[in-house]
Amino acid sequence: MRNLLNFLARYNSLIIFLFLEGIAFYLISTRNNYQNSRLVNSVRGVTSGIEKKINNTKSYLSLRKVNETLAEENVALKNRIAKFTKTESSLFFSVNDSIYKQQYFHTSAEVIKNSVNKQRNFFTINKGESQGIKVDMAVISSNSVAGVIVGCSKNFSVAMSLLNPDFKLSARIKSNGYFGSLSWDGKDYRYAILSEIPQHVIVTVGDTIETTGYSAIFPEGEIIGTVSDYEIYGGDFYKIKILLATDLKKLHFVDVVGNMKKTEETELEKLYK
Amino acid sequence: MINSIFRFGLIFILLILLQVLLFNNIQFSGYVNPYVYIMFILLLPIEIPSWLLLLLAFGTGLIMDFFSGSPGMHTSATVLAGFVRPNVLRIVSPKDGYESGSDPSMFIYGFRWFFLYTLLMVLIHHTALFYLEVFRFADFFRTMLRVILSTIFTVTFILLIEFYRRGK
Repeated sequence: MRNLLNFLARYNSLIIFLFLEGIAFYLISTRNNYQNSRLVNSVRGVTSGIEKKINNTKSYLSLRKVNETLAEENVALKNRIAKFTKTESSLFFSVNDSIYKQQYFHTSAEVIKNSVNKQRNFFTINKGESQGIKVDMAVISSNSVAGVIVGCSKNFSVAMSLLNPDFKLSARIKSNGYFGSLSWDGKDYRYAILSEIPQHVIVTVGDTIETTGYSAIFPEGEIIGTVSDYEIYGGDFYKIKILLATDLKKLHFVDVVGNMKKTEETELEKLYK
Repeated sequence: MINSIFRFGLIFILLILLQVLLFNNIQFSGYVNPYVYIMFILLLPIEIPSWLLLLLAFGTGLIMDFFSGSPGMHTSATVLAGFVRPNVLRIVSPKDGYESGSDPSMFIYGFRWFFLYTLLMVLIHHTALFYLEVFRFADFFRTMLRVILSTIFTVTFILLIEFYRRGK
């Protein structure tokens, strides 16, 4: 007994150290995407007040840039409306059933916390369940991919950024339609990697890469970026480096996109698995 | 005693605020992430009992983890820094040892001593933190680059803050 007490007294700092490190490693090892984002979510309830303040200052400083982007987007949208009204009038279509044609709906939101310098990046937006945001909705920023919602609280949602190695996306080369899998390699926040493109496909630097819509999360044809470099990887595939169209470091206003027919599609697909 | 609790409480709050409000938002090119909050562990009195040092390190790391949404990483790295601190102090110890009851500060032990002490501590903390974050040795050298660059920035900022404290 005495020996034991002596031992404890001598190595007390080592024992406390090992005990505390044990707790820390337990926390690290239980992190897995989903739980992690859950934890992040509950904690962010505490810290989001402060983050909101930081963000208010930031958004004031970037008003000019934001205005420009909005103006550009407005012009693009107006052009699209003009196109639609023209075609609509020439059709014999008296019932205006918006649900029939509409598959995706958009909600705009503001990013209040963002990071690009970690290995697993998440960002927080200022809308949550009360505003109709649900898990697995897509987040896009002025027509290019930014992330996907992984957790919602009442008024906030956490999205997994494109800059997260766990984020996998089906993407294709616009010019020839060959598709592969897109993910981030953890190196530079401006580039992502498109893999699984077979070598007989002709790839040119500058080709546009867009989403396929196979995942039922992202709408088809959202721009991801352009080819900046490619190399032969493994036996038959290319490893293509993509320059991302969104500067995720500047992410500020985003659109959250929900797929109204998602349940229908996934239910059907489940039958044939 | 009460006075010094109050003083370190204030330092703690200021450093955490500085880290969360300013340095967490820097995000230079994805390679440079200064973690200045570690300065709190550096500034604690030299004769602080090791159990208290470890508990304070644990608390600091936990709070940083809360703010950066990363369970355990900061906690683990900061506890490690707290654990090695007595040894680092012994390694960099000045010729005539430490005065009893003093703080490890630049204006008692000089710039050279403080710089060396800060550099060693920050290097240990950042090495642990960045390798834990990546959690693999695949990108060993790239992570090392991140550690080195971030260490340079953190040490610079800590020295600046210490100079400012001296000016006060």
